[in-house]
Amino acid sequence: MVDYLYDGSFEGFLTCIYWHYYGEKASGIYPAAQYQPSLFYGFTEVQTEAEKATRVYEAIEKKISAYDLQRIYRVFLSSVENRELLLLNYIRLGFKEGSKTSLLHGNPYVFPVAQAEKKIGAEVHRLYGLLRFSVLEGDILYAVVEPDHDILEFMAEHFSDRYKHDPFILHDKRRGKALVAQGGEWYITAFTEANLPQFSAQEQEYRALWKKYFQTIAIQERTNPTCQKNFMPVRYWKHLTEI
Amino acid sequence: MDSSLMNKLKILADSAKYDVSCSSSGVERKNSGRRGSASNAGICHSWSADGRCISLLKVLFTNKCAYDCQYCTNRRSVDVQRASFEPAELAELTMEFYRRNYIEGLFLSSAVEVSPDYTAERILQCLSMLRYDYGFAGYIHAKIIPGVSQELTHAIGLVADRLSVNIELPTEASLQRLAPQKKAKAIFTPMTQITNTLIQQRSLKGPGTMFKGENLNDSLHYLHPEGKTLVPTAGAQVHLGEGSLYQMSNGGEHALIREPRYKYKEKFCPAGQTTQMIIGAGTETDRQIVKTSESLYRSFKMKRVYFSAYIPISDSPLLPSVFTAPPLTREHRLYQADWLLRFYGFTAEEMFTESEPNLDLELDPKITWALRNIQLFPIEVNKASMEELLRIPGLGTVSALRILRQRKVSAVKYDDLKKMGVVLKRARFFLTCSGKYYGEKELSPEYVRSKVLESDRIKSQLLPPKEDSQLSMFTPGSFRLEAPDSLHPNTPQRRLKTDGGLLI
Ligand code: SF4
Repeated sequence: MVDYLYDGSFEGFLTCIYWHYYGEKASGIYPAAQYQPSLFYGFTEVQTEAEKATRVYEAIEKKISAYDLQRIYRVFLSSVENRELLLLNYIRLGFKEGSKTSLLHGNPYVFPVAQAEKKIGAEVHRLYGLLRFSVLEGDILYAVVEPDHDILEFMAEHFSDRYKHDPFILHDKRRGKALVAQGGEWYITAFTEANLPQFSAQEQEYRALWKKYFQTIAIQERTNPTCQKNFMPVRYWKHLTEI
Repeated sequence: MDSSLMNKLKILADSAKYDVSCSSSGVERKNSGRRGSASNAGICHSWSADGRCISLLKVLFTNKCAYDCQYCTNRRSVDVQRASFEPAELAELTMEFYRRNYIEGLFLSSAVEVSPDYTAERILQCLSMLRYDYGFAGYIHAKIIPGVSQELTHAIGLVADRLSVNIELPTEASLQRLAPQKKAKAIFTPMTQITNTLIQQRSLKGPGTMFKGENLNDSLHYLHPEGKTLVPTAGAQVHLGEGSLYQMSNGGEHALIREPRYKYKEKFCPAGQTTQMIIGAGTETDRQIVKTSESLYRSFKMKRVYFSAYIPISDSPLLPSVFTAPPLTREHRLYQADWLLRFYGFTAEEMFTESEPNLDLELDPKITWALRNIQLFPIEVNKASMEELLRIPGLGTVSALRILRQRKVSAVKYDDLKKMGVVLKRARFFLTCSGKYYGEKELSPEYVRSKVLESDRIKSQLLPPKEDSQLSMFTPGSFRLEAPDSLHPNTPQRRLKTDGGLLI
């Protein structure tokens, strides 16, 4: 048994899975940057190898299912604690049980992965609504997020379809990267707000209108802040125009 | 800044806020060279201080009203600030809000300025501008004012995703008393037209899973085009007569009078039609309300019926006094009953008995029903059909499907149930798992009722989480409520300790 350390990329993770099957069994898989040596196991740094990663990738797709491959990828991009280990266990079970793995809701290896997937799915869906774009000079849309999970990629299709005519930048400030899109095409890149254009002339006006609308629409007799916070956790508030 | 626009927005949002139907779901539109898209899942963009989801810019086009409905803040006889949008102004505002991702689209209702047709024409102008000049592909829900001409209804249906004609009051008697200028006939005529046009376009779907597997788009479902008659259609089996609502024509005949055929380049009202009723302004029982909704579902195949608790605003002798609290708990229970109608295969008649024409305010209608029919329980989860599973309180469509699917590979164990989303706190009294019962004691309605109430009280922090504490601290009015659109009878609950025991 040995702890595998990898570079934090999905390919790197898949390469670790490869070594788990074709080398020494893994006691754990950790991003090298965050690793704290364990008392019980030694560790090996794994070189990411595209070819080995591809083999595991295809094996998951063929021997488990395409759905599970997607699920594994999503959970990999979550910030759930020990996600690599959860996924390792899930994949091991998957190679035994095949395509019915995801149906074993009660299984202790399946349940936490399903929960993690739910979390990331919920955040994506929530942010579809909770992003606020500002219009910059030159008609560029710009929004800042600090999501719990690494979800830019999962937002891309939704927003690049919606804003096909407006170039936009979706900036994940926490991770220092951004989704940049124009005309339905998108890519993800490292990003800081340096050199961003100014707000357009009308931006403040529309913000004020939206604020006014937000205040007006609440029904006094039914005020219910607990309910409001349940649906819209306070940690998202700082990037909302209306609050 | 244009302060007049700010002022208009304030006035016209303020007078639209009591309208509850705000969902943007039900239509999927990918961007095909236009601006924006619509998402089938329904996206909430914010939550206002009252905990309700904001997904659409919900405003009145105008609040200058020629009518005098008693329950309404905008009726002619009250002194409020009045305003009307210009079509171009509202179109631009919607577009700019949409680009900033503040909203999913527009929910446009209106008072009756000058006449229904005059108002509808201006609304049509605004919506057409939004769709055709701006190429807006987001969601539009438009209200049809009773009395609008057939042509305008049709034209608005071609630019809107969803249409609604508000029924306002659950019985015709209340309508006559409280909204004398509104006629049942004028409400049902456009409703009929919308349903028929959807059939013609072959896109009528109906509410929830109520008509699952049925083809609604055939000649049997066309509605009689005139009057307040609701014609029951195939498979409808509406119990007419005593206890309900608008007097509906009896018998199974179907009038096959059709409107002129249109060629549908644009989809007419692809997200279907809805309606809204005000609860607690008249004297109706819940039974009448639920029966009226059921008829609306069965006859018009509406997507949703929304309920809005009446908030006393006017000191009319015809209405509850201004000191009456809005019946929020009742509204919540009605939504749960509505859910049973649309998704769980219940009929309105099943939910009530002769002696109890109102829903229990303390317990949700599914538990009430189960306790009344206790002889059907417990149900064995490893044998029951989908329909039977759905009758178990605490078990919803998602968990029922998961149970059925897992059963194909291996037996469902009690510990699996929670992971499938079953609310065991309720469900454990009503089910067995491989023959074993987990409800602690005998299955008696009184015992289960007290147990469920107790856990509800603990949850709403009206009781300390101890078995033997006093129940007297409980006050029914202080339940925590959720926003209508997210209502589900089976809200997730706290973790429950279960030891299990043999079925007696
Ligand atoms: S027609 Fe509508 S806006 Fe006018 S008074 Fe009646 S309910 Fe109010």
